Amino acid sequence: MIGSKILLVDDEVIFTKNMNRLLDARGYRATAVNSGAEAIRALQSEDFDVVVLDLKMPGMDGLTTLKEIKKLGLFTQTLILTGHGSIDSALEAIKLGAYDYLTKPCQISELVEKIEGAWETKDELKKKDIQDKIQRVVESPRDAKHLFVRLP
Amino acid sequence: MPNLKPIESEPAMAGDFSSNHELRYKRLFQRFVLLTLVCSVAPLLVVGWAIRHQYQRSAETRVMTAFRNEVQHHRKVIELFLEEHRSKLELIARTNNRQAFLQPGKLRGVFDTFNRDHWTLTDIGVIDGDGNHLAYVGPYDLLDKNYSQAHWFQMVMDKGIYISDMFMGFRREPHFIIAVQGNDAQGAWILRATVDTEAFRALVENVMIGRTGEVFLVNQKGVYQTTSRYSGRIMEKAAMTVGDVHPGILVRQEAADAGFNGERTVRQIVSTTWLETPQWMLVVRQDRDEAFASENRADLSVLVFLLVSAGTILIVTVLVTRHMLNLVKRRDAKAETLNRQLMQASKMASIGELSVGVAHEINNPLAIISTEREILLDAFQQANGIPPDFSTQMEDSMNQIDVQISRCKRITHNLLRFSRRTQSVIDTVDINAFISEVIDLMEREAKSSGITFFKDLSPTLPPILSDLSQLQQVFLNLITNAIDAHDNKQYGSVAISSTYREAEEIVEIVVSDTGCGMSEETLAKVFDPFFTTKPMGRGTGLGLSICYSIIKGLGGRIQVESVRNQGTDFTIRLPLRSPESKEDAGHGNGPVAQAA
Repeated sequence: MIGSKILLVDDEVIFTKNMNRLLDARGYRATAVNSGAEAIRALQSEDFDVVVLDLKMPGMDGLTTLKEIKKLGLFTQTLILTGHGSIDSALEAIKLGAYDYLTKPCQISELVEKIEGAWETKDELKKKDIQDKIQRVVESPRDAKHLFVRLP
Repeated sequence: MPNLKPIESEPAMAGDFSSNHELRYKRLFQRFVLLTLVCSVAPLLVVGWAIRHQYQRSAETRVMTAFRNEVQHHRKVIELFLEEHRSKLELIARTNNRQAFLQPGKLRGVFDTFNRDHWTLTDIGVIDGDGNHLAYVGPYDLLDKNYSQAHWFQMVMDKGIYISDMFMGFRREPHFIIAVQGNDAQGAWILRATVDTEAFRALVENVMIGRTGEVFLVNQKGVYQTTSRYSGRIMEKAAMTVGDVHPGILVRQEAADAGFNGERTVRQIVSTTWLETPQWMLVVRQDRDEAFASENRADLSVLVFLLVSAGTILIVTVLVTRHMLNLVKRRDAKAETLNRQLMQASKMASIGELSVGVAHEINNPLAIISTEREILLDAFQQANGIPPDFSTQMEDSMNQIDVQISRCKRITHNLLRFSRRTQSVIDTVDINAFISEVIDLMEREAKSSGITFFKDLSPTLPPILSDLSQLQQVFLNLITNAIDAHDNKQYGSVAISSTYREAEEIVEIVVSDTGCGMSEETLAKVFDPFFTTKPMGRGTGLGLSICYSIIKGLGGRIQVESVRNQGTDFTIRLPLRSPESKEDAGHGNGPVAQAA
């Protein structure tokens, strides 16, 4: 989806810079950070549609970052982009709720494809959530005010 | 885990190794045997020797005591004989006067009385104070002889009683006499008897002295008083030194003097004792070996017993040690195999770890290169006024970069696959059908190579629980290698057989080729990663290490045997259930290997 907000998380500065540029060129609004902690901060202050997360990073590694992201309770989808070495961690990440994984090096087109998929998933989840909430309001109108307060 | 034992790669090295081992085993054997012998045979021999020594000493004491007793008894017998004759003569001389013997038959009567039971006297005579024979009974013609000058005459006139040494006298024969002095109205007279030399000798020799023993008498001057069995004749000078008169009985052992008991130089037991009257030395001697015969026999049996015991212990020790050593050897061989397997496994593990690191580190720069390429492509597409030649070249180069990135990716992918299998899907596999499929696939590929495929599949093969795609990778790899091994041959064959080892619950698959085989060196490294004999660019050297890793992961074993220029056999043994299928019994969504 053109205009989707993408958060790139990788300790390789040049890689994130390049990715940022490539995604921007394809109409996305990408932001690059180089550590798990920065990613969490960015997610707390800003809303992103998809996070592209590397697993092997110094400090907070990808899996820990993923867990932290999950704790935030967002609709944001996480896409794992990893060197082959952490393929098993990538599977682990899927178990923890990541949307999908890609192995480095990959074509930008493959990545874009996965981002689109992730965006759709996020969109569906968000819609479903709104529907659920509307359903709840319909069923018990007394809770409606909470719904409006919490809607973005 | 591959059992590396059949790899014939190690004879050169192993030769050294095993000869070292042989030397070690030999030393171990020697040490065991020596120790056992020191601990068993040595004490046996020491105790045996001590017992034997003790026994010999007591036996010697016993024999010597018996010898001494015999001699003492014998001396008494001889002394009693002389004493009896002396006292009889004395009685006759005291109770008669010389006139009585002048009567015819009187002296004969006395003579006969003496010799009635045993012949002991040769003759008897009555001699007056001047030394003239008055009466005589005996075989010699001595009546006219005068003894006034004879030594014995002087002695008997002096002392009243006299027993002479052996002397020749008027008869020119060795003899000795017992003379007693009688007294009547006309003064002193002498009753003289000659003891029969042979009868006396018989008496002297009448003692148990065996075959080698001899008994004789010598006087103080060392002259034989009886003829001895071996040493010398009566009246001859004895070879032995007589020494001083001593009381009691002396028993000693000494080297036999020449002539005793033939020419043998032996030790003999010599016992000497002196008679009181006359002062003759009674000598009893015997070959020591004969005296100790029964003791020696007992001694010999002790020795034989000892030696047989020692020998038995020795044989048993050697046999037991050999048996033990064989056990040790078998254990060692087992440990050796285990050790080699462990080493191979740990080598693989460390190479695996290294590979993960390397692959990961290379993937990151590759990713950057890839993104740079895409940026360049983006920029290129937006640029205007680019000459068509450059544009073509640019596209070509970009494509080539992409191809090479993919190639690198494949290499790192293989590396990682070697070190850690990716997702493994355990399912029921019909090995025979699977082999047939793989052969079908490869047959098409090898159509032009002149290679024939054979299969020998056991119909009793049960389906197994394993990973089909990984097995496919293994067999494609092995068959590709088998085909490549025929590069220098026009024809060849690849045979795949399957058997079910029911007892071990193992499925065995053998891939044999008739290719070029492998040298021992190659064989030793065949499962090592990055080891390849293929030309540059054709092999990564990871194929067989991946096979090794996969088969190990599936709980099986792979082993290789090869003969140069004849071919190679790869044998794969797979369990009916791979370990992962057992582990995953509880998981729902397929196995996920441990994270990096």
